[in-house]
Amino acid sequence: MSDVVLVVGEADGDGLAEPTREAVTVARRLAGSQGTVLGFVAGRGASGRAAGFAAIGVGQVVVADDPRWDAAPPAALARPVAAAASNAGAFAVVVGGSSFGRDLVGGVAVALGASAANGVTEAERIPEGVRVRRPVFGGRATEERRLEGGRAVLSVRPHAFPAAEGPPTSLRPEPAPNAEPAPAQLAPARTAVAAASRGAGPGLADAAIVVSGGRGLRSPEGFRLVEELAEALGAAVGASRAVTDAGWRPTSMQVGQTGRTVSPQLYIAVGISGAIQHLVGMVSSRVIVAINSDPSAPIFRVADYGLAGDLFELVPALTAEVRRVRGS
Amino acid sequence: MEIVVCVKPVPEAESRLRANASGTAPDTDGVKFVLAGYDESAVEQALLLRQAVPGSKVHAVSLGPPSRTDEVLRAALALGSDSATAAESDAPPMADPIATARGLATAIAARGPCDLLLFGKQAGDDEEGLVGGATAEALGLPFVGFVVDLRFDAAASRLRFRRSVERGEESWESPLPLAVGLQQAWNDPRTATLPAILRSRKAPLARHAAGPGAAVAAASVAERFALPPPRQGAKMIAYRDPQQAASQLVRLLREEAKVFP
Repeated sequence: MSDVVLVVGEADGDGLAEPTREAVTVARRLAGSQGTVLGFVAGRGASGRAAGFAAIGVGQVVVADDPRWDAAPPAALARPVAAAASNAGAFAVVVGGSSFGRDLVGGVAVALGASAANGVTEAERIPEGVRVRRPVFGGRATEERRLEGGRAVLSVRPHAFPAAEGPPTSLRPEPAPNAEPAPAQLAPARTAVAAASRGAGPGLADAAIVVSGGRGLRSPEGFRLVEELAEALGAAVGASRAVTDAGWRPTSMQVGQTGRTVSPQLYIAVGISGAIQHLVGMVSSRVIVAINSDPSAPIFRVADYGLAGDLFELVPALTAEVRRVRGS
Repeated sequence: MEIVVCVKPVPEAESRLRANASGTAPDTDGVKFVLAGYDESAVEQALLLRQAVPGSKVHAVSLGPPSRTDEVLRAALALGSDSATAAESDAPPMADPIATARGLATAIAARGPCDLLLFGKQAGDDEEGLVGGATAEALGLPFVGFVVDLRFDAAASRLRFRRSVERGEESWESPLPLAVGLQQAWNDPRTATLPAILRSRKAPLARHAAGPGAAVAAASVAERFALPPPRQGAKMIAYRDPQQAASQLVRLLREEAKVFP
């Protein structure tokens, strides 16, 4: 039985992105103490990034040092990654749960004739292959699946596993096997990158704390209370559909069925009644606080802590208290 | 431009969620399957592009048994799709997404030309988001996910779009053909008119047996489906004044929930 797991490295500047280090943690558990974790990096300067793998103890790295990968979509790597996995006899390919990883998994699985799962929170080796656990239905349920057929491709849900640490080892790079994507797969080209516009706060998807506002804030000006609380907490800002539909804030901030799904450590819902379409986007948060003027609002049924009363008094008081205890 | 939109039937958001008798999958007894929210936006995106590029056609494709696919294909027709294809398969609602992708790829290849293949971000039930990339690979097409603001530049004969990712917004361009996974419901999907709904009831659906394409050696098998124990409901904080409410809440988050930074 193969004991090799391949991890595809996502670049972050000159180093490896955090989600890749989480993927290495999962790969190590799957490979076991006797197994091998193998890295894969592609693009200009890939050799340098391979050092990021060696720094956390993954010395054996397949390197596709080819500038064509820099502007190509992540999915264009599907065939080269599958070829590297096949070449190494890997029983699993693991990637981080970022947009890079999620775009890659389906294509690699088809190219490899493997089964696949995105966003896993548990993964274990079983005789038939790999068993994974993952949240479904917006975190309202979990499923366990057996990925059979000798090969499995999976992405790891962000923050579900600790990022792998050293000790560092010496780098043993090896050239990637010669495997070309279909010519058309290299045609889309990235022409520019603009850093996240709300540079001050974390992105909704990765934030440890999210503060969201709803209709109860009454106006675009009222919504500022939520942004001030988020700033004091170092949190990302979310909104209910009522807020984005009314044009108070951009649609990119929407949390819920037609917006983003978030699962932070702490979710604070301000002036949000708790329609099911909103709940499916946030119910898997670890701790939920609801602040609402209506004590019978459904949001209090899913929240851990509730404050019923006047938002326009409670939220500024909370912001002040947060600033006080954080000493700013 | 020939635009193909893949649509998935998913349980209505309001439907009650519980495990089936064997505890391996959600119970679908009495559950109504509807067009997935993200897929509704994908149909809207296709219709907007058809409007912008004269001579374009929009084709909806869905995989599964007719009892689930026909409803959502008729919904896509009622919204304005030109044709609809049912890729017939006896796959359960949360079937192996890679097998689904292979089945869809076979049906899409058999249907005719495809310049742009559109997918919603992910389905509201299994939330895999795997089918887009996998279908594209099976067809040898390029795939880009997390796409917003998709437009066709007729003069350059290229698609231009942005990709909304962790580190910011990327600008992209691509010739046809291309497969796209849309990021979210950034557009405001139209609602079907009553005459269009009535017409869609009688519209013909093309049928394609997806069986052989969907069969692969590797497979993912659902073993267990479970709901977390229901939350107890919020601990309501009683308070005299807003300042006291705030300090109590911060203390609880810090000492009891241990989430305060």
